[in-house]
Amino acid sequence: MEGRVVTEPEKQQERSVPGIDLGDTVAEAHDGARAQSFQARDAVFKLSEVTVSYGDNPAVSDVSMEMYKNAITALIGPSGCGKSTLIRCLNRMNDLIPSAGMTGKVLYHGQDIYDPEIDPVEVRKRIGMVFQKPNPFPKSIYENIAFGPRILGMNGDMDEIVENALLRAALWDEVKDRLETNAFGMSGGQQQRLCIARCLAVNPDVILMDEPCSALDPISTGKIEDLMFELKKDYSIIIVTHNMQQAARVSDMTAFLIVKLDADEKHRQGRLVEYDATEKIFTNPSDRRTEDYVTGKVG
Amino acid sequence: MPEGTRIHYQEELASLEARALDGIDLVTRQLEKAVECVEHQDTELAGLVLTNDDVIDGRYLEIHQSILTLLATQAPVATDLRLIAALLHLMKAIERMGDQCVNIAKVIPIAGHQPPADERIVNDVVTMGRQVKTQLSQAKRAFAERDVEMARDLVRQDDLVDNLNKEIFRIALEIGDDHDRREWAMTMILVARAVERIGDNTVDIGEQVAFVVTGLFREFQDASHPGASLPTA
Repeated sequence: MEGRVVTEPEKQQERSVPGIDLGDTVAEAHDGARAQSFQARDAVFKLSEVTVSYGDNPAVSDVSMEMYKNAITALIGPSGCGKSTLIRCLNRMNDLIPSAGMTGKVLYHGQDIYDPEIDPVEVRKRIGMVFQKPNPFPKSIYENIAFGPRILGMNGDMDEIVENALLRAALWDEVKDRLETNAFGMSGGQQQRLCIARCLAVNPDVILMDEPCSALDPISTGKIEDLMFELKKDYSIIIVTHNMQQAARVSDMTAFLIVKLDADEKHRQGRLVEYDATEKIFTNPSDRRTEDYVTGKVG
Repeated sequence: MPEGTRIHYQEELASLEARALDGIDLVTRQLEKAVECVEHQDTELAGLVLTNDDVIDGRYLEIHQSILTLLATQAPVATDLRLIAALLHLMKAIERMGDQCVNIAKVIPIAGHQPPADERIVNDVVTMGRQVKTQLSQAKRAFAERDVEMARDLVRQDDLVDNLNKEIFRIALEIGDDHDRREWAMTMILVARAVERIGDNTVDIGEQVAFVVTGLFREFQDASHPGASLPTA
């Protein structure tokens, strides 16, 4: 892996300066508190040396990192750094691309999701995904939500499932009187929240978001971000975003990837440079390349 | 000329830092004048020091507003953000140092045109002034060059000022029974205290240099735990 991923114990070590007076103990306690909240959290995903290739060309190489439960993890980096490729391999969406191949391990709660015994449909049920452009089905609002649970044969009152999903996606009050109208009549922001509700309806554990606000105006973006804060109480969220301020605003942990040219300078591939608490990435990153990217000095 | 992208922003930030650091030169000039007032009992020059403080206050307001604008429009992060936080501290220190020069100037008329001055005290004040001037210059250079070692050396430099301050206090205590001489010595204690505070402010600026470079804020000197070892981070 490129650069350095700072693990929690290392972080503690780095922040403690031996032989310092009480005044510094106070300062260290402050620094340490920032890292502490993640120490106790379980890892939802554990990636070991993950490389995803299209044909013979690796799109993203040698990524090892953990993503934590009830946290928002942001993947940032320039175009072509493989952040979308990486997020898509967390619920086996790359399986749908014939040329895509993966090496390394993706453990989800300790289970290898690429194990041949594992059903990819079950993976995608537990690990839902929201895309850049809202993609509701050409059906009613109600049917958009009910579709997944029905296909999966979920038990329970469907009206209740739909209402719950819309409530959790903070959309219920806006659409409760027009559930039978076509979803295409909704605004872009509402459509995106409908897609989130659709994802929630099948009771996932993780929500993957691939640039969920890039097609939305600031008000709708604000609503999705507020929603993310609510959702992380019950779910773990991984978000790919081009918007640096969005990563800084919403995420707890941030991973920065770069594009690197191969030795033959023909192929580009993504590499993980730095992964740390978002506060650290945006106030005092460890790697110069992260610094240059987050400050906008390089694109 | 900055390289890469966001060139306008980088230029704006660099110019903001340069103007903030120039504020240290404004303080240096005020301190020179204030100490000269003490040396020559110059009440007219003291009046000029009072008037000139408006220039420092103006610089403070100007930089403060520019920082707010930069925060609102450019959303700085990482080293840029730390630099901006440090510039706010720097400007506060500059404004306070300016006020200390005013404090010195204000006691000059109280001491009068021909005060019963003690040469040892006057010499010590002049030496203190010279030393603090050196520290101001060193603090500015350490900031501009992001030199943490040079910044940390300000603690050692400032010990000289602290010792002179204590010496002035000791001489004043032993100055004798003459009422006018004692009153003059009291005003000199105030002057020495003001110069000593400016010295402390140069150390504060040094701490901000370390913060910009390392991302960690640690006091070089902890007043509540004197004698504690200096941080190395």
